[in-house]
Amino acid sequence: MSPAARREQAISVMALGHAVGRRVLLPLVGVVIVLAIWQATVAIYRLPLIVLPPPWTVATTLADLVGTRAFWRDVGVSLYEFVAGYAIGTTLGVATGLAMGESRRFRQALTPVIESLRFIVPFAWIPLTILWFGTSYAGKIMLVAYAVYFVMTVSTARAIAHVDPTLTRVGTMLGMRPLRLALRVHLPAAMPTIASAARAAAAIGWIAVVAAEYIGASAGLGLMITNAASSLATGVVIAGMIVIGLIGAGVSAAILAIARARPSAR
Amino acid sequence: MTTATRHATPTNRHAAMPTPTATDAAMTGGRDARGGLTVERVSHHYLANGRRTDVLDDVSFSVGAGQVACVVGPSGCGKSTLLGLAAGLMRPAAGRVTWNGETVRMGPTDHLGMAFQQPGLFPWMTVRENVAIGLTTRGKSRHDARRIADEFLDTVGLHEFKDAYPSQLSGGMAQRVGIARALALKPRLLLLDEPFAAVDAFTRLKLQQEFKALLKLDRPTVLFVTHDVPEAIALGDVIVVMSQRPAAVKTIIPVRREERDRASLAYAHKLAETLACLGVTSDMEGE
Repeated sequence: MSPAARREQAISVMALGHAVGRRVLLPLVGVVIVLAIWQATVAIYRLPLIVLPPPWTVATTLADLVGTRAFWRDVGVSLYEFVAGYAIGTTLGVATGLAMGESRRFRQALTPVIESLRFIVPFAWIPLTILWFGTSYAGKIMLVAYAVYFVMTVSTARAIAHVDPTLTRVGTMLGMRPLRLALRVHLPAAMPTIASAARAAAAIGWIAVVAAEYIGASAGLGLMITNAASSLATGVVIAGMIVIGLIGAGVSAAILAIARARPSAR
Repeated sequence: MTTATRHATPTNRHAAMPTPTATDAAMTGGRDARGGLTVERVSHHYLANGRRTDVLDDVSFSVGAGQVACVVGPSGCGKSTLLGLAAGLMRPAAGRVTWNGETVRMGPTDHLGMAFQQPGLFPWMTVRENVAIGLTTRGKSRHDARRIADEFLDTVGLHEFKDAYPSQLSGGMAQRVGIARALALKPRLLLLDEPFAAVDAFTRLKLQQEFKALLKLDRPTVLFVTHDVPEAIALGDVIVVMSQRPAAVKTIIPVRREERDRASLAYAHKLAETLACLGVTSDMEGE
């Protein structure tokens, strides 16, 4: 190997090391700090296991949990409720928002309803959904759809209204009628805003699922956690909370990846 | 100096003018023949925050079928508004614009091609798709639209950028895509809003030449807004000179073929005449 090539290789190894440092080590610093505070709190106050188990105990509990069938069933139920409700809520929300952005009449007719309903947080509906749907999946799906719907409607309507007017003029000049203009120009032009709203909505929807399961469910992560809490299995409670956080982050990352893949896909 | 009285006079003047040789074919078409554009006593204003800004004040002129009219005037005088009205993208506050003898209505048409000052390319589409979408909208097959788009992108010198996205283009390149998109539609009425403004001087001259050649093929009626007087003389059959805002037609100057030769005395005279109408004297020492 020539000296130049060797040097190049050395540089690339250094660059790789640098990238690893930035992308892996730095984020780990935060995690380590949180774990250290946690461990220290347990040690200093000599907290019993049922109040706050130390990180290592929770880690082993989590590892045991992951090996059980029931755990995956709960994860599956929660995810199913979320995905179904999210799909319904975003589809209907984008459709309503698009109609509101395109038609002044539609906007005038719907704004009062949307504005008054969107401040009734999804959690306020939990008692009613239990009354109507019991502990079935349908109640949770409806709740997620509801939570997601308003975020998507309002953001989509606003994004459509803010599309660069030059693009509208161009579309009209090219001969597009209103429906085609809405679907071929306004919707794609608003897509970046709609995609970031979809990410925010995912977080809200996921929170709604778990919250609803805490209160009344026959399966799901929320139920798993409340059951564990009532039998004082604090380790399982915390492990479940960590799983909820990880799944939420995963869902958010997945939606970001889908949104990023879109523009060049065509 | 040629100073026409305002209002309807320019139209009458125009009609009464001895027919310039270069525009014979265009002029014989007459005003109400197929492809003629007339602007009749059009006034327009904008309302913003309760304040009214008058942009056009009783503007009248006509462009015969296949004729190229260049609109020059001070910046911000309402030239773009004039194009918007001719395109049916907005409705005039007073007066009317007609095409083929019929009042221009708001909404999409299929005789129109327009290049905007801001190119307004769709950022989620490739350059080729941007040019092709107008063609598919107007009923061409995907295959044909693609072929025609490629052809016009070659014309504006962008064949290497067909698969690029608008964000990867310079301002001048984006503007050329906008021009290609308008020309590819083979419109009967072509409206251009300072299409070569963001293009460097050399490319500009080249594009002007190619543009001229393209016009000979399809002979659309053209309304061309520019603030470059030499460009107006090079491309226009007539030059419509506008005044400050609220803009009125100051005068309409016909351009003869021999006046386009930049090495000729006739060109120098035409340039001086047009600039004088815009309030610029050719004698730099005079100030």
